[in-house]
Amino acid sequence: MTTKAEFFDRIRAEMARTPGRAPSALAARPVRPREGLDVLRRELSERWRENLDRFQHELERVGGVLHRVAEAGEVPDVVAQIAAERGMHRVVTWPRDTLGVDVAAPLITRGFDAAVMPGTEVAAAERARLRGLAAAADLGVTGAEVAIAETGTLVVVSGAGRPRSTSLLPACHVAVFERDVLVESLVQMGLVLEAWHEGAEPSWRGAAINFITGPSRTADIELTLTRGVHGPKEVHAVFVERGLSVARRA
Amino acid sequence: MEPELATPFRERAGRALDDRFLQEALTVATTKFITLRREAFAELPEGDALRDQARAIKEATLQRLDYWLERLIERIESRGGHVHYATSADEARRVVLDIARRTGARMAVKSKSMATEEIHLNDALQAAGVTPVETDLGEYIIQLAHERPSHIIAPAIHKTKGQVAELFARELGRETEPDPEVLTRIARAELRQKFLDADLGISGANFAVAETGTVVLVTNEGNGRMVTSLPRVHVAVMGVEKVIPSMTDLAVFLAILAKSATGQKLSVYTSLVNGPRRGGEPEGPEELHLVLLDNGRVRQIAGPLREALNCLRCGACLNVCPVYRQIGGHAYGYTYPGPIGILLTAMLNGPAAVKDLAHASSLCGACMDACPVRIDIPKMLIELRREVDQQGIAPWPERAVFGAFAWLLQRPRLYRLSARLGRLLQRPFVRGGRIRWLPGLFGEWTRTRDLPAVARRTFHERWAALEREARR
Repeated sequence: MTTKAEFFDRIRAEMARTPGRAPSALAARPVRPREGLDVLRRELSERWRENLDRFQHELERVGGVLHRVAEAGEVPDVVAQIAAERGMHRVVTWPRDTLGVDVAAPLITRGFDAAVMPGTEVAAAERARLRGLAAAADLGVTGAEVAIAETGTLVVVSGAGRPRSTSLLPACHVAVFERDVLVESLVQMGLVLEAWHEGAEPSWRGAAINFITGPSRTADIELTLTRGVHGPKEVHAVFVERGLSVARRA
Repeated sequence: MEPELATPFRERAGRALDDRFLQEALTVATTKFITLRREAFAELPEGDALRDQARAIKEATLQRLDYWLERLIERIESRGGHVHYATSADEARRVVLDIARRTGARMAVKSKSMATEEIHLNDALQAAGVTPVETDLGEYIIQLAHERPSHIIAPAIHKTKGQVAELFARELGRETEPDPEVLTRIARAELRQKFLDADLGISGANFAVAETGTVVLVTNEGNGRMVTSLPRVHVAVMGVEKVIPSMTDLAVFLAILAKSATGQKLSVYTSLVNGPRRGGEPEGPEELHLVLLDNGRVRQIAGPLREALNCLRCGACLNVCPVYRQIGGHAYGYTYPGPIGILLTAMLNGPAAVKDLAHASSLCGACMDACPVRIDIPKMLIELRREVDQQGIAPWPERAVFGAFAWLLQRPRLYRLSARLGRLLQRPFVRGGRIRWLPGLFGEWTRTRDLPAVARRTFHERWAALEREARR
């Protein structure tokens, strides 16, 4: 097998034979991304209404649905309504800490079969059982770390209390978010990612960052658009004006 | 390894031209792709500037490729991931098989990856007792049909819904109407349990971000997320040229990739994988392996195909290519079809592999216009033609004709004489100023195109007449 040293010897030998010829330039990276992001967030806080409208427009273009509620306490109502309209019964949800609101208890009260994902490390056997719950669920409720207005994208980060499968295995995904996660563009998302990776990463953050732009889709048969291939067939974003309290942003 | 190659290229192309199903499927699909791409960029005024920037980033990365790869490796290993080095396709297969053997994998779920197509990984897995399951709908269809992808991003572009329904009935025992919606639902159900049962997830990578050690996958169906989240072990196979320096650079590429490929602003899922499962995380693979693949790429750092290392595998050049639009992907005979595919085939298999394919282009330049990073494909195709000629691997009639022509061009008197001779000999064949048919060897030219007739008075003759007049 080729060793790392051998592999790099060949690369360097070839590089030595080519002086850089074509025009080249890397994208200008922010020097202090976290500070830059703070400044950006302050600017964005004044334009959140426009950005939310843009987000809604773009989300709808890709087949998603936006719901707006004034208070966090209304989120379970929205989830219950979505589920009821579709005859869905089994719900999995992130816990209160990572979602910012308790969804499971109110749903159980209304007769839904709702399971809360754990917020701390669990043993392997329990992890397998939880995955089975997500696979059998009709609807999954998660938070969103960023919402990109330009593309209608929800950015969901994995971690403790943030299982990946909640937004992936159920046929319907509901993501809950608030105004301060809105950014305008992919370029701004680049700054967010730079800031997230500056210095040591916080312990709450897991290994997967997923940009979700509408429901799962394919056009592999005669380029006919079909939704819900492997991921959710429906994506709902619930915008909460006040009262969502997510334990994060360390 | 390349079953299509048993028949010569011309025959393969001819068969594609006679296939009415294929012709219709190709026209519909490529036309739609072209429209979607055009609409997407029409909405993005800064699109051209972003493409220039993306190109400059690729070149800058290539100029310090060793540095960025070292950085990537360091960051991935610091997160508990493993990096492997594969100089050849054979070595890449062995690396993946070793991982499969060590983990005791019986089944591997795969998300669409041209790199694993390129190294023919599925055959090797099967032979080693590991069942590979393609999970991208298009790839799943062609795996069931025992075929190979005919388009970089739409592998089953050549199949009609009726053919897919027949295939599902035969291979899955599911009789159904030819409705894409129903067929997709069947595939979802078939594959769901496999995602949950598989021990091994195999993917490619659209990018790898060096500064953060992040493997990036772009998909629409969600199978990329499944493959990188559910099985216990995740292996990503990636060409060395896919490394990019930073997240800021990634944002630039994401802004143009999906628009070029499918006309979407962003594909449905962009998955950033930052190593294996972390403590506290309820899901994610225990092991993450990145296989860095050379397979002919490294020698092009200083080679004539260097620019082709910038390719993002979006497929835009296929859709606009007048040759691809006529013959489809299979006729090319190798893993990568279309204009960029010819260059990549030469990169992977050497110039001899493209002695015919190098001519499967009208050099119209549509590919270069569509390319998100503006790769000068026509220029490299011409260089390939020259190389094929110089190495004496071009077909002999071609070398004979062009050799004779070159010899003639260097002898002005003979050249003028031959023009007069040609004028005489062409008489029986000229119709309306054009020659549409020639006998024998020359018929190879007129088989697919017309030849302008030698003019009644050649330029030389008219020039000489003008000079005489001026002197008077």
